[in-house]
This record gives sequence, C-alpha cells and structure tokens, in this order.
Amino acid sequence: MDTGINMLCFSASYAIALALELSGLWVQFRLRRLALLLAAAAGLVAHTWYLGRRVAEMPAAPLANQQDWYILAAWALAVVYLTLKFYYPRSSIGLFVLPVVLGLIGGSLLATTEPLATFQAPRIWGQVHGIFLMLGTVVVLLGFVAGLMYLIQSYRLKRKLPADSRFQLPSLEWLERVNSWSLGAATLLVGGGFLTGVLSRLAQEGDQNFVPWTDPVVMSLAAMLLWLIVAEVFRLVYPAARQGRKVAYLTVAAFVFLLLVLAAVTLRDSLHQKTERAETSSSTAAGGLR
Amino acid sequence: MKNLRMIGCSHRDAGIDVRQLLAFDAKQTADALGIWGSRFPDAELVLLSTCNRVELYATGIPNSETLVEALLDYRHVPSEQVEGNLLSLANTDAVRHLYRVTSSLESMVVGEPQILAQVKQAYQSAQEVGTTGPLLHDLFQSALRTARRVAGETALHKHRVSIPSVAIADLASCVFETFNEKHVLVIGAGAMADETLRYLRDEGEPHIHVINRDPERGKLLAQRWGGQYHEWSELWNQLVQADLAISTTSATEPVVTTSAFDKYVAPHRHQRPLIILDLAVPRDFEQAVSEALGIYLYSLDDLAQACKKNQSARAAELPRAEKIVTQETASFVTNAHHRATAPVIAGLRQELERPKKTELERLFRKLPDLDGPQRQEIEQFADRLVNKMLHPPMESLRDASQNGTPHGLLDAIRRLFHLED
Repeated sequence: MDTGINMLCFSASYAIALALELSGLWVQFRLRRLALLLAAAAGLVAHTWYLGRRVAEMPAAPLANQQDWYILAAWALAVVYLTLKFYYPRSSIGLFVLPVVLGLIGGSLLATTEPLATFQAPRIWGQVHGIFLMLGTVVVLLGFVAGLMYLIQSYRLKRKLPADSRFQLPSLEWLERVNSWSLGAATLLVGGGFLTGVLSRLAQEGDQNFVPWTDPVVMSLAAMLLWLIVAEVFRLVYPAARQGRKVAYLTVAAFVFLLLVLAAVTLRDSLHQKTERAETSSSTAAGGLR
Repeated sequence: MKNLRMIGCSHRDAGIDVRQLLAFDAKQTADALGIWGSRFPDAELVLLSTCNRVELYATGIPNSETLVEALLDYRHVPSEQVEGNLLSLANTDAVRHLYRVTSSLESMVVGEPQILAQVKQAYQSAQEVGTTGPLLHDLFQSALRTARRVAGETALHKHRVSIPSVAIADLASCVFETFNEKHVLVIGAGAMADETLRYLRDEGEPHIHVINRDPERGKLLAQRWGGQYHEWSELWNQLVQADLAISTTSATEPVVTTSAFDKYVAPHRHQRPLIILDLAVPRDFEQAVSEALGIYLYSLDDLAQACKKNQSARAAELPRAEKIVTQETASFVTNAHHRATAPVIAGLRQELERPKKTELERLFRKLPDLDGPQRQEIEQFADRLVNKMLHPPMESLRDASQNGTPHGLLDAIRRLFHLED
C-alpha cells in the first residue's frame, strides 16, 4: 500500500523543527515550542511509518541495505531527541541533534540500496552485527553532540558570558554524565558489532569465510574500536579524563573515527555487497532445494 | 466607591527610620485593626505592613486625616515626625496603587515575588479580625488576580536581579544538574553567605561546610543551615572536596592565591568542576585561579553585571505590566461604579414587576379556560417585555458608570419611576 510517505516527508518535518529551533535564537514567539514539538513528532511518525512499510515490503528491513541502516539510525536519534525535548523543553538540544539526524538521512542518499551480503551468512549474526553497529553509531553521535554542548557551555561559563534564555544548554554535570556513558556504551556496542561481523564472515560458506583485515571498512572499524578501547582505558586509569572537558574531547574524537567508518562503508564498501559468485551459489542452492 | 482611601509610606517616600516608626508586626496588626474596627464600625480596613511599606486601606471613612490620625495614634508617633513622608490616595488612584504594589511594580526590587504573599496575608489578617467588607474583598481579590496576570503574561518575574539568586539559579545551575548531595563550602560568615545559602536551600539539599576565622560566627552559620563547621586550617582540604565554594570574608588580601591553589588544591581535584562565587570585597580569590581547568570563578562584579542585564530585561517588560494594571484598574472602577447603581436597578425592576404581576392575574381571571402551557407562554411574554423595557436604562447606566457613579442619571430614573431611596 503506497501511503505517499517518503523520505522527503520526515526530512522536511525535521528541517522545519530545526528552523524553529534556530528561529528561537533571534525571536521568541508564542507557541514556537509547541510548533517545534509538533513538527518533530510529525517527522517521527512519518519516519516510523516509512520504516514500518519497509519491513512490510521486505522482512529483512530495516537492516536490509545500507540506506535502511542509515534511516534506522536517524530514527533512533530522532526518538532520543524528542525524549530529551520533553525532559528539557527549554534547552536548545535540537540545534545539535537535528542536524545529525538530517545528516544521517542525507548520508542514506549516498548509500546503496543493494541488499547487504550478510544475509548470505547465518541471518542472526548479520542482524545482530547490523543492530550493534547501528546502536553504536547512535551512541557515538549522541556522545559527540553532548561533548560539543559541554565544550560550548564550559566556554560560556569560563568566559562569564551571561546566561541567555534564547540559547539554553543542559548542565555540565548532565552533559559529562552523557559523555562518560556514551563512551562506555559505544565501546561495548562497537566491540559487539565488530565481533559479530567477524563471526558472521567466518560462518559464511565457500571461499568467503575469512576476514579481509586490509579492507578499508574493516580497518576503519578496527581503528575506531581500538580508539574507543584506549579512550575507555584512559578514562578509567587517569582520573582527570573521567570528567570535564577531557571526556568531551574523547567523544568528539570518537565521532571523527565514526565519520571515517561511515565514509568507508558508504563509498568503498565491497565487503557487504553480494558477489556474483555468492549470488550464483545461493541460486544453485535454491535450485537444489527445489 | 464608598470613599476608598489609602494612607501610608513606602521606601519611595520615606526612609527606614520613618518606616520603622510605623511598622506593625502580625500581633500589632490584628490589635490595631480591632481597635480601628470598633472606632469606625461602618468602615472596611486592611493593613499591609512589610519591610518596605506600611499602608492602610479603608472605605467608609470620610477623610484621609482621620485615617492618618488613627494610624499615628496607635503607634504613638507625633505627626511632625512623619510630615512629608506619608502618601495619601483615594478611589481610582488607591486602586491602581494597590494593583501596582501587589504586582511588585512598586517593590524595591521590581518583580520580587514575596509581595504577593504579603498582600494575601494582610487581607487574611483583616478578614480574621472582621474588618473587611464587600468592597475591600473585591478590591483585594482583583489585586491578586492582577498580580497573577502580570506574572503570567509578562516575563517580569523570570529575570533574577539579586546577586545570590543570579549566582545560584543562573550560574551554578548551569554547572550542576542538582544541588542535592553537593559539597558546598562557605568561606566566611557574612550576610551575603547567609542569603546565598537561603537560595541554595530552595534549590536542593547540599552538604554545607563552613570555614571562618571566628569560630563562634562560623559555628552559628553552620548550625543555622544544618552544616558542619571546620577550622581555618582545613581550608585547602575543603576546597579539594568542594563542588561549590562561596567566599564572603572581609579579608583585605586574597585568601586564596593562585600559587597556593595550584599547589594545594588543583592537583588533588583532577580537573573536577568547581564553581567559586567570590562575593567578597576586596576579592578572596585571585583572578588567575580561574585559569585552572574545571574552575569557574565569579566575582561580585561579574555577578553584578548579570544582575544589571536582568534588570534591563525586567525594565523592558514594565510597559506590558503597566498596561495590565491600567486595564484591571479601569475594569474595577467601572464595576464599582456600576455596583452603586444596583439599588436603583433593583427598585426599577420591582416597580415594573408589580404591575406585571397585577395585570397577569387580571388576565388569567378573565380567561379561565387557558391551560398550563398557554398560561406559561403568556407569563414568559410578560417577562420578556419587562426585560426589554429595562434594557435601555440599564445600558445607559452601564455606559455612564465608566466615568464615575452616574448620580444625575440615577436621580432622573428615581424621579421618573417614583423610586424610593
């Protein structure tokens, strides 16, 4: 059933919400906050509808291809944004989170719609691998946003810039807690994603059951995981890295690694694509079953 | 309005010496109202006494001099001592004044919220003594409504303007999500420390630690706020533990130098955020202390600047608040004048009801065959006719009430319809 809901619908809703967040920096008009919440909520409803329709069309969705993966990550971040907006209605969190949500949707346009090769492997590993990395991405992005807000808030307080009701950020204490949590959670999720990726690769049949360590996707993901582990160890060992600006810098650096991974996956991914041989072998297997 | 009057003094017209002479505590307020109530049995009276004002609102008293005399008599203050310091207002001016007072437009710190509760309390005290009546009831209820409108429709109360409130609510809350369980160190036991702790307690339940050179005063302050007193030698150790430090000593030299801070405090804090409110003049913390990572240092000048900005923001809200007061004053005065026409309107209705009733009885006698619904229809017709006849004079009275009690029109109606007083 074609309901007419496409990516443009929810992207436009999020863009309107972002425009309303931005307008609050200059003008405060009545019902602005309500309009903002309605726009973001409408976007999330359309977004959910879109993903639901994808699942109805293709059971492997929303992790069937790279594009779906991006859109699912954007959806998770939009859910986080709306939840935070209810808890901190006056804060300008949207100025930081909504561009990332729109960035993920924009990234999905560059991503391929070809089915992911992981479905040739035992399906559960592929799904777990995809979910782990999607959640890891969302957590790293959340940590990045919190880190950025921490640095801005800290800069304002350090320079004694007066509090401005038009641009309010959560407290340093809260941001620091989110930063620390995101680093720990990202390490576990990305580690889990990496491990399940390796396992799913090894579980494949034929000449695909090896890990191509020199592949740009594997290399960038391994580098990111290594960075997260080092950062986490650094944080646990060195007390000063557990709080303040240092933990914010660590999350911002994790974001840079994430960008590298996403670039490798989106632009130079040969790992997750179906190969001709794989397709042939799967059709042969299907034929054999018949 | 039955001669609504207000006499009194405030921080605007009288110094603290005069205000102190005329100030009433809760017991004296009840006592004075009781005495004045017996002396002026037809009067309605409410006495508002706060740190910044003493105001007596009354109706049914022929002139302000009588009211002034009653006030000064009770306080045993010779009139020469307060000459030129007392404000006397009547009717519309008195209404507007009370609305401005209740909305905190007349307060020393415009927008401070306490005055609303004080006005409410003043009215309740008068009610308990039994010196209120319909006019003052309406006046005070509408004053409270006006204040709530000003608070709700303007941002007058949203901008904090006192140093401690700005320090805690506008700055420290940007660092801490909650003040519960936070280690708050108070260095010195000055009045500003006390005031800041009051704001802090409104925001949460921190652990309070006091350090003072004079143990007596330090212990007293710690005791008052349920905190712990420490010897002066504990200063560095306490600074290492602290999340928030409030310094208010009267030392002439900085208590915490940069070198001492870098040596005894910074290495042990591991860059854990510390907000320092240096409320002392001269400063207790050297400015360069703020260069350490995680340290947010605010001096009195920094906070005063934030207060000034908030004051300007409040000033920008004043025209909207004044507009609400003007609207509400006009509405109250019109209603009060219109209420004065009520007896005439009631008399007029009675004058028309009487012939209506007589004529209906006569008609029903002549038409005995009418059934219930027919009789009801005729009765309704008569009611509608009376109401329509009453409508033009009532409209005229309402319109005329906007410019004061329409005595001329009321007299004309009385004479035209032979109404008794």
